[in-house]
Amino acid sequence: MSDPTQIPETPLFDRERSKQGYRMNKMAMSLGKPENRAAFKADEEAFLDSYGLSAEEKAAVMARDWHRMVALGGNLFFILKIAAVDPAVMTEIGAAQAQMEHADFLKQRLGKE
Amino acid sequence: MAEIIGGVGTSHVPSIGIAIDKGLVDTPDWKPFFDGYIPGKQWMADKKPDVAVVIFNDHGNTFFLDRVPTFAVGVAESYTPVDEGWGPRAVPDFEGAVDLSWHLVDQLVDNHFDPMVCREIEVDHGLQVPMELFFGRPEHWPVKVVPIWVNTIQYPIPTPQRCWEMGKLLRKAIESFPGDERVVIMGTGGLSHQLQGSRAGFINREADQAWLDGIANDYEKYRDMTREDYVEQFGSEGAELIMWLVMRAAMDDKVELKHKHYYAPASMTGAGMVVLENA
Ligand SMILES: [Fe+2]
Repeated sequence: MSDPTQIPETPLFDRERSKQGYRMNKMAMSLGKPENRAAFKADEEAFLDSYGLSAEEKAAVMARDWHRMVALGGNLFFILKIAAVDPAVMTEIGAAQAQMEHADFLKQRLGKE
Repeated sequence: MAEIIGGVGTSHVPSIGIAIDKGLVDTPDWKPFFDGYIPGKQWMADKKPDVAVVIFNDHGNTFFLDRVPTFAVGVAESYTPVDEGWGPRAVPDFEGAVDLSWHLVDQLVDNHFDPMVCREIEVDHGLQVPMELFFGRPEHWPVKVVPIWVNTIQYPIPTPQRCWEMGKLLRKAIESFPGDERVVIMGTGGLSHQLQGSRAGFINREADQAWLDGIANDYEKYRDMTREDYVEQFGSEGAELIMWLVMRAAMDDKVELKHKHYYAPASMTGAGMVVLENA
Protein backbone atom coordinates (compact mmCIF):
# COMPACT_ATOMS: atom_id res chain seq x y z
CA MET A 1 0.00 0.00 0.00
CA SER A 2 1.02 3.63 -0.27
CA ASP A 3 2.10 4.96 3.09
CA PRO A 4 -0.63 7.16 4.57
CA THR A 5 1.64 8.18 7.44
CA GLN A 6 3.63 10.39 5.08
CA ILE A 7 1.08 13.15 4.55
CA PRO A 8 2.52 16.32 6.07
CA GLU A 9 1.22 17.47 9.44
CA THR A 10 -1.00 14.42 9.68
CA PRO A 11 -0.08 11.91 12.38
CA LEU A 12 -2.01 8.74 11.67
CA PHE A 13 -2.53 6.28 14.46
CA ASP A 14 -0.22 3.54 13.29
CA ARG A 15 1.36 0.71 15.25
CA GLU A 16 4.16 2.88 16.66
CA ARG A 17 1.78 5.47 18.04
CA SER A 18 -0.59 2.82 19.27
CA LYS A 19 2.23 1.12 21.19
CA GLN A 20 3.68 4.38 22.44
CA GLY A 21 0.42 5.86 23.67
CA TYR A 22 -1.17 2.68 24.99
CA ARG A 23 -1.10 3.53 28.71
CA MET A 24 -2.20 7.13 28.27
CA ASN A 25 -5.04 6.06 25.99
CA LYS A 26 -6.05 3.28 28.38
CA MET A 27 -6.19 5.77 31.24
CA ALA A 28 -8.31 8.13 29.12
CA MET A 29 -10.59 5.32 27.93
CA SER A 30 -11.35 4.45 31.56
CA LEU A 31 -12.92 7.91 32.03
CA GLY A 32 -15.98 6.53 30.28
CA LYS A 33 -16.92 5.14 33.71
CA PRO A 34 -18.23 7.57 36.35
CA GLU A 35 -16.22 5.98 39.19
CA ASN A 36 -13.00 6.58 37.26
CA ARG A 37 -13.97 10.17 36.55
CA ALA A 38 -14.49 10.64 40.29
CA ALA A 39 -11.08 9.11 41.04
CA PHE A 40 -9.43 11.31 38.40
CA LYS A 41 -11.00 14.41 39.94
CA ALA A 42 -10.17 13.40 43.52
CA ASP A 43 -6.44 12.78 42.95
CA GLU A 44 -5.35 13.15 39.37
CA GLU A 45 -1.70 12.28 39.86
CA ALA A 46 -2.47 9.10 41.80
CA PHE A 47 -4.97 8.15 39.11
CA LEU A 48 -2.39 8.63 36.35
CA ASP A 49 0.15 6.66 38.39
CA SER A 50 -2.28 3.79 38.68
CA TYR A 51 -2.13 3.47 34.86
CA GLY A 52 1.68 3.63 34.87
CA LEU A 53 2.06 6.88 32.94
CA SER A 54 5.62 8.16 32.53
CA ALA A 55 6.62 11.52 34.03
CA GLU A 56 6.45 13.06 30.56
CA GLU A 57 2.98 11.68 29.89
CA LYS A 58 1.75 12.78 33.30
CA ALA A 59 3.06 16.29 32.76
CA ALA A 60 1.31 16.53 29.38
CA VAL A 61 -2.00 15.30 30.79
CA MET A 62 -1.86 17.46 33.91
CA ALA A 63 -1.02 20.57 31.84
CA ARG A 64 -3.89 19.69 29.44
CA ASP A 65 -1.27 20.00 26.72
CA TRP A 66 -3.32 18.52 23.87
CA HIS A 67 -0.50 18.93 21.38
CA ARG A 68 2.00 17.11 23.58
CA MET A 69 -0.44 14.31 24.44
CA VAL A 70 -0.85 13.52 20.74
CA ALA A 71 2.91 13.80 20.19
CA LEU A 72 3.33 11.14 22.89
CA GLY A 73 0.95 8.72 21.17
CA GLY A 74 -2.33 9.92 22.61
CA ASN A 75 -5.22 9.46 20.21
CA LEU A 76 -7.70 12.30 20.25
CA PHE A 77 -10.74 10.05 20.52
CA PHE A 78 -9.45 8.62 23.79
CA ILE A 79 -7.95 11.75 25.30
CA LEU A 80 -11.11 13.72 24.52
CA LYS A 81 -12.58 12.05 27.59
CA ILE A 82 -10.23 14.20 29.68
CA ALA A 83 -12.12 17.17 28.22
CA ALA A 84 -15.32 15.63 29.54
CA VAL A 85 -13.92 15.57 33.08
CA ASP A 86 -12.27 18.99 32.83
CA PRO A 87 -14.31 20.74 30.13
CA ALA A 88 -12.50 22.10 27.11
CA VAL A 89 -14.03 23.20 23.82
CA MET A 90 -13.31 21.01 20.78
CA THR A 91 -12.09 23.95 18.70
CA GLU A 92 -9.67 24.95 21.48
CA ILE A 93 -8.23 21.46 21.38
CA GLY A 94 -8.02 21.79 17.59
CA ALA A 95 -6.25 25.13 17.88
CA ALA A 96 -3.76 23.53 20.28
CA GLN A 97 -3.10 20.78 17.69
CA ALA A 98 -2.45 23.41 15.04
CA GLN A 99 -0.50 25.49 17.59
CA MET A 100 -2.59 28.52 16.74
CA GLU A 101 -4.50 31.11 18.76
CA HIS A 102 -8.13 30.02 19.08
CA ALA A 103 -9.51 33.08 17.28
CA ASP A 104 -7.05 32.66 14.41
CA PHE A 105 -7.85 28.97 14.18
CA LEU A 106 -11.59 29.61 13.95
CA LYS A 107 -11.07 32.17 11.23
CA GLN A 108 -8.27 30.69 9.16
CA ARG A 109 -9.01 26.99 9.43
CA LEU A 110 -12.75 26.82 9.94
CA GLY A 111 -13.71 29.97 8.04
CA LYS A 112 -15.67 31.42 10.93
CA GLU A 113 -15.80 35.18 11.45
CA MET B 1 -37.41 -11.57 0.79
CA ALA B 2 -36.19 -8.45 2.58
CA GLU B 3 -35.84 -5.38 0.38
CA ILE B 4 -33.42 -2.45 0.40
CA ILE B 5 -35.63 0.64 0.10
CA GLY B 6 -32.81 3.15 -0.05
CA GLY B 7 -29.37 4.21 1.03
CA VAL B 8 -28.38 7.15 3.15
CA GLY B 9 -24.95 8.71 3.58
CA THR B 10 -24.61 11.02 6.56
CA SER B 11 -22.33 12.74 9.03
CA HIS B 12 -22.27 11.48 12.59
CA VAL B 13 -20.36 14.33 14.30
CA PRO B 14 -20.83 14.10 18.10
CA SER B 15 -21.43 17.86 18.40
CA ILE B 16 -24.67 17.31 16.49
CA GLY B 17 -25.97 15.16 19.33
CA ILE B 18 -24.74 17.67 21.90
CA ALA B 19 -26.50 20.48 20.02
CA ILE B 20 -29.76 18.48 20.22
CA ASP B 21 -29.18 17.75 23.93
CA LYS B 22 -28.55 21.42 24.71
CA GLY B 23 -31.49 22.70 22.67
CA LEU B 24 -29.27 24.54 20.19
CA VAL B 25 -31.03 23.27 17.04
CA ASP B 26 -32.56 26.67 16.23
CA THR B 27 -29.49 28.78 17.00
CA PRO B 28 -27.74 30.55 14.07
CA ASP B 29 -24.75 28.17 14.29
CA TRP B 30 -26.89 25.05 13.91
CA LYS B 31 -30.20 25.92 12.24
CA PRO B 32 -28.92 25.78 8.65
CA PHE B 33 -27.38 22.41 9.36
CA PHE B 34 -30.51 20.85 10.87
CA ASP B 35 -32.87 22.48 8.36
CA GLY B 36 -31.05 20.71 5.56
CA TYR B 37 -31.98 17.36 7.08
CA ILE B 38 -35.75 18.03 7.02
CA PRO B 39 -36.24 16.48 3.54
CA GLY B 40 -34.20 13.44 4.57
CA LYS B 41 -36.29 12.99 7.68
CA GLN B 42 -39.46 13.32 5.63
CA TRP B 43 -38.18 10.77 3.12
CA MET B 44 -37.54 8.34 5.96
CA ALA B 45 -41.01 8.93 7.43
CA ASP B 46 -42.61 8.30 4.02
CA LYS B 47 -40.55 5.19 3.27
CA LYS B 48 -41.25 3.57 6.64
CA PRO B 49 -38.34 1.13 6.82
CA ASP B 50 -38.45 -1.66 9.39
CA VAL B 51 -34.71 -2.03 9.84
CA ALA B 52 -31.70 0.27 9.58
CA VAL B 53 -28.35 -1.34 8.83
CA VAL B 54 -25.92 1.29 10.14
CA ILE B 55 -22.28 1.30 9.05
CA PHE B 56 -20.16 3.36 11.42
CA ASN B 57 -16.97 3.39 13.44
CA ASP B 58 -16.46 3.41 17.15
CA HIS B 59 -14.45 6.37 18.48
CA GLY B 60 -12.62 4.87 21.41
CA ASN B 61 -15.85 4.43 23.33
CA THR B 62 -16.77 0.76 22.94
CA PHE B 63 -13.60 -0.81 21.58
CA PHE B 64 -10.24 -0.09 23.19
CA LEU B 65 -6.89 -0.84 21.58
CA ASP B 66 -6.69 -4.18 23.38
CA ARG B 67 -8.76 -5.66 20.53
CA VAL B 68 -9.49 -3.89 17.28
CA PRO B 69 -11.87 -5.65 14.90
CA THR B 70 -11.53 -4.45 11.32
CA PHE B 71 -15.22 -5.23 10.84
CA ALA B 72 -17.76 -6.18 13.52
CA VAL B 73 -21.47 -7.03 13.32
CA GLY B 74 -23.90 -6.70 16.22
CA VAL B 75 -26.31 -9.57 16.90
CA ALA B 76 -27.68 -8.24 20.20
CA GLU B 77 -31.33 -7.85 21.15
CA SER B 78 -30.69 -4.31 22.29
CA TYR B 79 -27.94 -1.68 22.17
CA THR B 80 -27.52 0.95 24.87
CA PRO B 81 -25.87 4.30 24.11
CA VAL B 82 -22.38 4.20 25.65
CA ASP B 83 -21.15 6.77 28.18
CA GLU B 84 -18.58 8.81 26.24
CA GLY B 85 -17.40 10.63 29.35
CA TRP B 86 -20.25 13.09 29.78
CA GLY B 87 -22.64 10.57 31.32
CA PRO B 88 -25.58 8.87 29.64
CA ARG B 89 -27.58 10.77 26.99
CA ALA B 90 -31.37 10.87 26.90
CA VAL B 91 -31.39 8.61 23.86
CA PRO B 92 -33.51 5.44 23.98
CA ASP B 93 -31.92 2.02 23.55
CA PHE B 94 -31.86 0.61 20.03
CA GLU B 95 -33.68 -2.65 19.44
CA GLY B 96 -31.64 -5.14 17.45
CA ALA B 97 -32.88 -6.96 14.34
CA VAL B 98 -31.47 -10.20 15.72
CA ASP B 99 -32.51 -12.65 13.00
CA LEU B 100 -31.37 -10.42 10.17
CA SER B 101 -28.08 -9.78 12.01
CA TRP B 102 -27.37 -13.50 12.30
CA HIS B 103 -28.34 -14.03 8.69
CA LEU B 104 -25.89 -11.32 7.62
CA VAL B 105 -23.17 -12.94 9.74
CA ASP B 106 -23.88 -16.35 8.16
CA GLN B 107 -23.78 -14.94 4.66
CA LEU B 108 -20.68 -12.84 5.23
CA VAL B 109 -18.69 -15.72 6.67
CA ASP B 110 -19.93 -18.18 4.03
CA ASN B 111 -18.64 -15.74 1.45
CA HIS B 112 -15.22 -15.39 3.11
CA PHE B 113 -15.83 -12.09 4.86
CA ASP B 114 -15.17 -12.67 8.53
CA PRO B 115 -16.35 -10.00 10.96
CA MET B 116 -16.22 -10.08 14.73
CA VAL B 117 -19.67 -11.03 16.04
CA CYS B 118 -20.89 -8.95 19.02
CA ARG B 119 -23.58 -10.32 21.32
CA GLU B 120 -23.40 -7.68 24.08
CA ILE B 121 -22.12 -4.22 23.17
CA GLU B 122 -22.93 -0.52 23.46
CA VAL B 123 -23.02 2.02 20.65
CA ASP B 124 -21.46 5.48 20.47
CA HIS B 125 -22.38 8.66 18.58
CA GLY B 126 -21.40 6.99 15.31
CA LEU B 127 -24.74 5.17 15.36
CA GLN B 128 -26.74 7.48 17.64
CA VAL B 129 -26.34 10.69 15.66
CA PRO B 130 -27.42 9.35 12.24
CA MET B 131 -30.50 7.84 13.89
CA GLU B 132 -31.33 11.16 15.55
CA LEU B 133 -30.82 13.06 12.30
CA PHE B 134 -33.22 10.84 10.35
CA PHE B 135 -35.69 9.75 13.02
CA GLY B 136 -35.60 12.62 15.52
CA ARG B 137 -35.77 11.78 19.21
CA PRO B 138 -38.77 9.45 19.57
CA GLU B 139 -39.61 7.58 22.74
CA HIS B 140 -39.08 4.34 20.81
CA TRP B 141 -37.12 4.08 17.59
CA PRO B 142 -39.43 3.20 14.68
CA VAL B 143 -36.85 0.76 13.26
CA LYS B 144 -34.71 -2.07 14.54
CA VAL B 145 -31.01 -1.83 13.86
CA VAL B 146 -28.10 -3.91 12.64
CA PRO B 147 -24.90 -2.12 13.71
CA ILE B 148 -21.80 -2.75 11.62
CA TRP B 149 -18.53 -1.32 12.90
CA VAL B 150 -15.56 -0.48 10.69
CA ASN B 151 -12.17 0.29 12.21
CA THR B 152 -11.12 3.76 11.11
CA ILE B 153 -8.99 4.57 14.16
CA GLN B 154 -5.93 2.32 14.24
CA TYR B 155 -3.96 1.60 11.08
CA PRO B 156 -4.22 -0.47 9.05
CA ILE B 157 -7.83 0.57 8.45
CA PRO B 158 -9.60 -1.45 5.72
CA THR B 159 -9.12 -0.35 2.13
CA PRO B 160 -11.92 1.51 0.33
CA GLN B 161 -12.09 -1.47 -2.05
CA ARG B 162 -12.75 -3.86 0.85
CA CYS B 163 -15.53 -1.59 2.09
CA TRP B 164 -16.98 -1.75 -1.41
CA GLU B 165 -16.87 -5.55 -1.41
CA MET B 166 -18.59 -5.61 1.95
CA GLY B 167 -21.44 -3.51 0.56
CA LYS B 168 -21.87 -5.85 -2.42
CA LEU B 169 -22.10 -8.84 -0.11
CA LEU B 170 -24.43 -7.12 2.31
CA ARG B 171 -26.87 -6.47 -0.47
CA LYS B 172 -26.96 -10.13 -1.48
CA ALA B 173 -27.27 -11.12 2.15
CA ILE B 174 -30.13 -8.70 2.89
CA GLU B 175 -31.99 -9.69 -0.26
CA SER B 176 -31.72 -13.37 0.60
CA PHE B 177 -33.28 -12.92 4.05
CA PRO B 178 -36.61 -14.73 4.26
CA GLY B 179 -38.94 -11.98 5.43
CA ASP B 180 -40.64 -8.88 4.13
CA GLU B 181 -38.53 -6.35 6.02
CA ARG B 182 -37.95 -2.98 4.41
CA VAL B 183 -34.30 -2.15 5.00
CA VAL B 184 -32.55 1.20 4.82
CA ILE B 185 -28.77 1.09 4.72
CA MET B 186 -26.88 3.99 6.30
CA GLY B 187 -23.22 4.75 5.58
CA THR B 188 -21.95 7.28 8.09
CA GLY B 189 -18.95 9.46 8.97
CA GLY B 190 -17.06 12.42 7.51
CA LEU B 191 -17.14 14.65 5.72
CA SER B 192 -13.74 16.34 5.60
CA HIS B 193 -12.13 16.94 8.98
CA GLN B 194 -8.87 16.54 10.80
CA LEU B 195 -8.60 16.65 14.57
CA GLN B 196 -4.92 15.87 15.14
CA GLY B 197 -1.55 17.18 14.04
CA SER B 198 -0.72 20.65 12.80
CA ARG B 199 -3.12 20.29 9.84
CA ALA B 200 -5.97 20.10 12.41
CA GLY B 201 -9.00 22.11 11.38
CA PHE B 202 -8.53 21.09 7.75
CA ILE B 203 -11.86 21.24 5.89
CA ASN B 204 -12.09 20.71 2.12
CA ARG B 205 -15.41 22.18 1.06
CA GLU B 206 -14.78 21.58 -2.63
CA ALA B 207 -13.95 17.91 -2.16
CA ASP B 208 -16.96 17.48 0.13
CA GLN B 209 -19.34 19.01 -2.43
CA ALA B 210 -17.85 16.89 -5.21
CA TRP B 211 -18.30 13.80 -3.03
CA LEU B 212 -21.97 14.57 -2.35
CA ASP B 213 -22.55 15.07 -6.08
CA GLY B 214 -20.44 12.13 -7.22
CA ILE B 215 -21.20 9.34 -4.78
CA ALA B 216 -24.51 8.71 -6.56
CA ASN B 217 -23.53 8.08 -10.17
CA ASP B 218 -19.86 8.92 -10.42
CA TYR B 219 -18.70 6.64 -7.66
CA GLU B 220 -15.94 4.75 -9.47
CA LYS B 221 -13.22 7.23 -8.63
CA TYR B 222 -14.09 7.09 -4.94
CA ARG B 223 -14.21 3.31 -4.96
CA ASP B 224 -10.79 3.19 -6.60
CA MET B 225 -9.02 5.77 -4.39
CA THR B 226 -6.39 4.71 -1.86
CA ARG B 227 -6.59 5.33 1.86
CA GLU B 228 -3.87 7.92 1.37
CA ASP B 229 -6.06 9.74 -1.16
CA TYR B 230 -8.87 9.85 1.38
CA VAL B 231 -6.62 11.25 4.09
CA GLU B 232 -5.16 13.83 1.72
CA GLN B 233 -8.49 15.02 0.34
CA PHE B 234 -10.70 14.69 3.39
CA GLY B 235 -8.29 14.84 6.37
CA SER B 236 -7.16 12.11 8.73
CA GLU B 237 -10.56 11.66 10.36
CA GLY B 238 -12.39 12.50 7.12
CA ALA B 239 -11.17 9.11 5.85
CA GLU B 240 -14.28 7.83 7.65
CA LEU B 241 -16.01 8.46 4.33
CA ILE B 242 -14.90 4.99 3.23
CA MET B 243 -17.91 3.76 5.21
CA TRP B 244 -20.27 5.46 2.76
CA LEU B 245 -18.83 3.10 0.13
CA VAL B 246 -20.37 0.13 1.96
CA MET B 247 -23.78 1.76 1.59
CA ARG B 248 -23.18 2.82 -2.02
CA ALA B 249 -22.04 -0.65 -3.07
CA ALA B 250 -25.24 -2.11 -1.63
CA MET B 251 -27.27 -0.05 -4.11
CA ASP B 252 -27.80 -0.43 -7.88
CA ASP B 253 -25.16 0.66 -10.34
CA LYS B 254 -27.41 3.61 -11.27
CA VAL B 255 -29.21 5.41 -8.47
CA GLU B 256 -31.38 8.44 -8.06
CA LEU B 257 -30.02 11.20 -5.82
CA LYS B 258 -33.21 12.14 -3.94
CA HIS B 259 -31.78 14.59 -1.40
CA LYS B 260 -28.48 16.25 -0.68
CA HIS B 261 -27.31 18.67 1.98
CA TYR B 262 -24.01 20.28 2.90
CA TYR B 263 -22.99 22.57 5.71
CA ALA B 264 -19.57 23.53 7.10
CA PRO B 265 -18.30 23.73 9.68
CA ALA B 266 -20.29 21.62 12.13
CA SER B 267 -17.87 21.88 15.05
CA MET B 268 -14.62 21.24 13.07
CA THR B 269 -16.19 19.15 10.32
CA GLY B 270 -17.72 19.43 6.89
CA ALA B 271 -21.16 17.91 7.39
CA GLY B 272 -24.07 16.69 5.32
CA MET B 273 -26.00 13.85 3.76
CA VAL B 274 -27.35 12.17 0.66
CA VAL B 275 -30.45 10.04 0.19
CA LEU B 276 -30.27 7.52 -2.65
CA GLU B 277 -32.84 5.24 -4.23
CA ASN B 278 -32.31 2.55 -6.82
CA ALA B 279 -33.21 4.09 -10.17
FE1 LIG C 1 -16.63 9.55 13.32
